[in-house]
Amino acid sequence: MMKLQPASIALLPVLLLSGCGSADRSELTAAAESQPVVNAQEGAATLEFQKRIDAYLKIHNEAESKVPNLKKTDDPKEISDRERALGETIMTLRAGAQPGEIFAPEYQPYFIKIVQDDFKTRSAVDRKAIIVELPKNMKVDINTVYPTTLPLATFPPMLLRKLPDLPPELEYRLVGHSLILRDVKANLIVDVLRDVVATIPS
Amino acid sequence: MMKTDTVRTVAVLWALLVGAAAVQALSGQQRPPANAPAMSASTEAQAPIGKDSVKFLVIGDSGTGDKGQYDTAAQMWAAHAVFPYEFAIMLGDNLYGSERPQDYVTKFERPYKPMLDLNIPFYASLGNHDDPNQRFYKNFGMGGKRFYTYQRQDVRFFALDSNYMDKDQQRWLEDELSKSDAKWKIAYFHHPLYSSGAAHGSEVDLRSIVEPLFIKYNLQVVFAGHEHFYERIKPQKGIHYFTAGGSAKLRAGDIIGNTGLTEKGFDTEQSFMVVEIDGDVLRFQTISRHGKRVDSGEIRRTPNS
Repeated sequence: MMKLQPASIALLPVLLLSGCGSADRSELTAAAESQPVVNAQEGAATLEFQKRIDAYLKIHNEAESKVPNLKKTDDPKEISDRERALGETIMTLRAGAQPGEIFAPEYQPYFIKIVQDDFKTRSAVDRKAIIVELPKNMKVDINTVYPTTLPLATFPPMLLRKLPDLPPELEYRLVGHSLILRDVKANLIVDVLRDVVATIPS
Repeated sequence: MMKTDTVRTVAVLWALLVGAAAVQALSGQQRPPANAPAMSASTEAQAPIGKDSVKFLVIGDSGTGDKGQYDTAAQMWAAHAVFPYEFAIMLGDNLYGSERPQDYVTKFERPYKPMLDLNIPFYASLGNHDDPNQRFYKNFGMGGKRFYTYQRQDVRFFALDSNYMDKDQQRWLEDELSKSDAKWKIAYFHHPLYSSGAAHGSEVDLRSIVEPLFIKYNLQVVFAGHEHFYERIKPQKGIHYFTAGGSAKLRAGDIIGNTGLTEKGFDTEQSFMVVEIDGDVLRFQTISRHGKRVDSGEIRRTPNS
């Protein structure tokens, strides 16, 4: 896992952009324009977030070491059993985890601003198209299983570009009004940031 | 490989049996209505033209486990008798609702049993109703990956995860597109970049990211689902877009008529596609739940693409 040093804060815009790989010029330009201006506080927010993500990954990896490896299988029971076992192990290791464990309270405004600024750039039709697909009336609590009967709403790709990168074990998702972090292999809600997404515009 | 006559006989028997089996297998709200139309085993699918062409089946939004899926699956198998596709691509929403082990059976293994018995491989992409851990299920052919690529003769396929187009996937896509010297480049994923659907419509956000790459690297054809109907879009910036998300779910009457995007739309029955790539020509047929050929045509690859 890459560790960001305080001196790297000034380089954060470059680091954020580096994820765009060799996309063509117009794409890079568009991405650069859509990146939030990173000031010291935002840099600190990203660093703190990264530190907490790394701490979570240690738990995730410890849990992975305690359950059988998941390999390609033609038995779906192996898939669901493994997902459940991994989830239960992580829940045990994180017993007592509270909202804000990864989205640190003091830096939550940074994340909320990224999402809300992104939504402001969208047309009403576009916002509505995103919001209507979000699972609603879903109980969102950390360290709980994401309901397997509910869809995982598409995460807007342009918004994804603006948020700090995540390791492959985790992903951002929008649920109702909340931004959540989800453990992909364990299907667990790892943290929740509430009241991020506005209601459907009239 | 089964002989053609045997395949055709099995297809007819299967088509007759699966309708009854489906009714028996289903319960509760999945049970088809008593007045559901009888399954027809006849198909208007036509034989492929090329002798050694790449032939495949296109399925989208299929994993309901209801009568619509079983009827359409029976037609897919009936079509195989005249159009022996070698593999199937899945456009996402492979399993709706719960994903218990028995759901893999009722929503995938049972309806497509004749194809699976014939070792016809399926290559799935993920929809918004799919747990990404489906990628570990061997019969979905994903090799444990959310996005992946493979080649058949001169055709390179890119199966993307449009639910979560992060930077890793973008980098991977550009890298793979740039490396490929295949004559044909085809992408498939769940969310349509262009759509006349009233329920969803075009995925503009996703389009702004992947379309420039498709254009830059001369990708010719895109298949998507999500919308529960069939739509062939007028070529956009040189790329041919198909939406085929009605292989079980159906959103009847959902195509908006005045978007200016639609070359051909079909939203009154479930459907699927069979496609053949024969040298520089791609030929497609779209078949309805009741075996009607509701669209067909060909796309010619231009020399510089």
